Amino acid sequence: MKTIVYTCPYVPAEWIAAHGLQPRRLIPQPVEGTSTIPRLEGLCPYARAFVNDVAASKDVDGVIVTTMCDQMRRIFDLLVRRIDVPAFLLNVPSTWQTAAAQRLYLDELKRLGRFLVRLGGREPDRKGLTDAITQCSIGKELVDLYPVITPPESLIGPLLCVMQQVRHSLDAESRRYAEDARGVPIGVIGGPLMERDQVLFRVIRECGGETAFDGTETGYRTVRNLDSRHLSGNPLEDLAEAYFRLPDPSRRPNGEFYKWLKDKAACRDVRGLLLHHYVWCDKWHAEFERIKEWTKLPTLRLDSEGEGEMNSLRVRNRIHAFVETLR
Amino acid sequence: MSETPRQITLDEWDRAYERLQAAGVPQPVYGGPLGRHVADGDTRLLKLRFDSSLAALQLWNFLLTEEDRLRAARDAGKKLVGTMKDLGTVPVMAYSLDNLVAFYPDGAWWIPCVMEVNSGLLQIADSLGIDESFCPVRAMLGAFVTEAHFPIPDLLTCSVGATCDDFSAIAQRLNGLGHPILWWEIPHRRPPESDEDGVHLPGGFSAPRSQIQFVKAELERVAIALQDLAGRALDDEALARGIAQANHVRRLLAKLRDAAFTATPCPMPALEMLIAEMLAIHFCSDREETVVVLQELLDEVNRRVLAGVGYLPDQAARVFWVNPVADLQVLNLLEDCGGRICGTEYLFAHALDPIPLDVPPMEALARMALADPMAGSAVDRAARIVADIRRLGAEAVIVSRIPGASHCALEGEIIGEIVREECGIPVLEIEVPPLTDAVYPSLRTRLEALVETVVNRRSR
Repeated sequence: MKTIVYTCPYVPAEWIAAHGLQPRRLIPQPVEGTSTIPRLEGLCPYARAFVNDVAASKDVDGVIVTTMCDQMRRIFDLLVRRIDVPAFLLNVPSTWQTAAAQRLYLDELKRLGRFLVRLGGREPDRKGLTDAITQCSIGKELVDLYPVITPPESLIGPLLCVMQQVRHSLDAESRRYAEDARGVPIGVIGGPLMERDQVLFRVIRECGGETAFDGTETGYRTVRNLDSRHLSGNPLEDLAEAYFRLPDPSRRPNGEFYKWLKDKAACRDVRGLLLHHYVWCDKWHAEFERIKEWTKLPTLRLDSEGEGEMNSLRVRNRIHAFVETLR
Repeated sequence: MSETPRQITLDEWDRAYERLQAAGVPQPVYGGPLGRHVADGDTRLLKLRFDSSLAALQLWNFLLTEEDRLRAARDAGKKLVGTMKDLGTVPVMAYSLDNLVAFYPDGAWWIPCVMEVNSGLLQIADSLGIDESFCPVRAMLGAFVTEAHFPIPDLLTCSVGATCDDFSAIAQRLNGLGHPILWWEIPHRRPPESDEDGVHLPGGFSAPRSQIQFVKAELERVAIALQDLAGRALDDEALARGIAQANHVRRLLAKLRDAAFTATPCPMPALEMLIAEMLAIHFCSDREETVVVLQELLDEVNRRVLAGVGYLPDQAARVFWVNPVADLQVLNLLEDCGGRICGTEYLFAHALDPIPLDVPPMEALARMALADPMAGSAVDRAARIVADIRRLGAEAVIVSRIPGASHCALEGEIIGEIVREECGIPVLEIEVPPLTDAVYPSLRTRLEALVETVVNRRSR
């Protein structure tokens, strides 16, 4: 089965799977050595790592990039010039309040579908898409239950039955874990986290905090779980609507993200927020002061260059001090 | 004064102005000695050198009195529209209604340069969480807070989507401070696929018809807001008149650019040409006077070309400049180093192209908006630059990075790669902060090296 990689949460894995292709959300490593894109002043480390990781992968048959951030939009230009893998730029509108913007997103998904067919995918029918939605939703339930751990997409198909069985035990463990938790509840928000930087959650725990929710781009906030029992006659439209409404600071206006944040902070009784972004990520960086003003919660901002700083002594000290002030 | 063009200092200009007054040379209502702007805080003017023509004096005075015009327009009962980011589309629509005045709040990005960071605008932006990792356009936030550089507009529009992240984030921060914004979407321009109907755009690009229709619908949303503000209809007839006026400005500018970039010796310095190009975006809050100012400048250039007078030796290195400079002084510096501008792409090439007249007005504007170099790929942008380099005979390219700007991290790499492949000429990438004083010696060295390289290549 051909593998299609992407990293933006506005790319529905279900739509790729419905074409008979394997979706893989690539959470990059900070690839060094033979780099396709060199270190450039002003370049987002995540965007750079994504392209370099795609270039270093042997089993990638297609790559999807979106326009949700300017750096990824522009890195597409370099990607198509320097990597010999078919690539697609999905236009995700920044605005979301008009029917026209939503229609544009839907049309882009259809255009993506044509790209996937050209890569050898099959034309999806209603049943195929419904099945893909069902399979993916079960996989994503794990994320609901255990927000800090994101199951690899590759497990979703083959391990479907096993995951259904473990679901109940995980559910129980999750409840027990919540009851036993002694740490200070902290909401983690921000852009995507590279694989190595996922250590942040362990560091928070080791510093006396508990991750009340993972609102990073690679975390719970961007998971959309469609219930296949409630799909309309046009599951693609349902899928587009669900994904199009993902709350993100990059939307204009971005009030929906703030509503999401307020709800999450309230229901998990968080005492503070931790905002992580990579350097040169304007969209998250710009929200920091507003998040503080709006939530009135103590907020710690960690920016990193993707060099594994999340496990550094300096970051540990900062998180430790932050947690202490929240006790 | 046009017989012997010289670049003169502010003091020299003020002394010349006294002589003009004594001779009874008439000046427009916004005229006066340039030195008075220094008293308003525009201290960078003390370090610039200006063209010595009356036309240039008028150009500078027109630019530096925009705030007065905006306040006068409001006092006269007109409504003000702040058109953020779109660079040349919504202003054409707004000026189609005679009781609206559009301006460009993003223009505040030059205030830290012109006022030599004494305005406090960057500090205000810092305090709002928008620090120096963002493009200098963050000064706009401070200008909204202080209300000292332009009046708060009655309507704020902002194009988003295929724009830079800096501006989008800063505009959202502004929105969060309580300024309502009408966001309109400009999608990333892409070529039509084999099964799509394509449309040719100004500037030589193409896009699927579906994208044109989408942008047209977005602009119709903006039109409704403008109509509501103006209290009158913005119909096709009014839009067509507005487009004709905008095209008149663009034609004047095209003639000016053509003469200034191709004649030898160089008939008009780079700095004045940059200001002239900026007028096309939003007419500096007075469309009719923009025509007068550009016509005077064009007449002056034509006189110089006929007389065979100008700046720099005939062998000056012919440089194509990409992106506007945050510090105006750098354009003086290029000429000091023996280079002359013979082509530019200041990020708003689409605002210089004629707006199509063979389609309904709103569709014509949609085509123009989608031709924005920022809306497409850097590869597209490079293609246009390459075509201009060949047409204008440039011998080198300078890509001037804007500090912190999201598009600058990668586009220089791509543009440089393509220009080298296609044209085989040297490309220099520099970064120009709002004040270059601290890096002036190194910038000078780099520009000198580029000019030397160009000269050496000629003898091969």
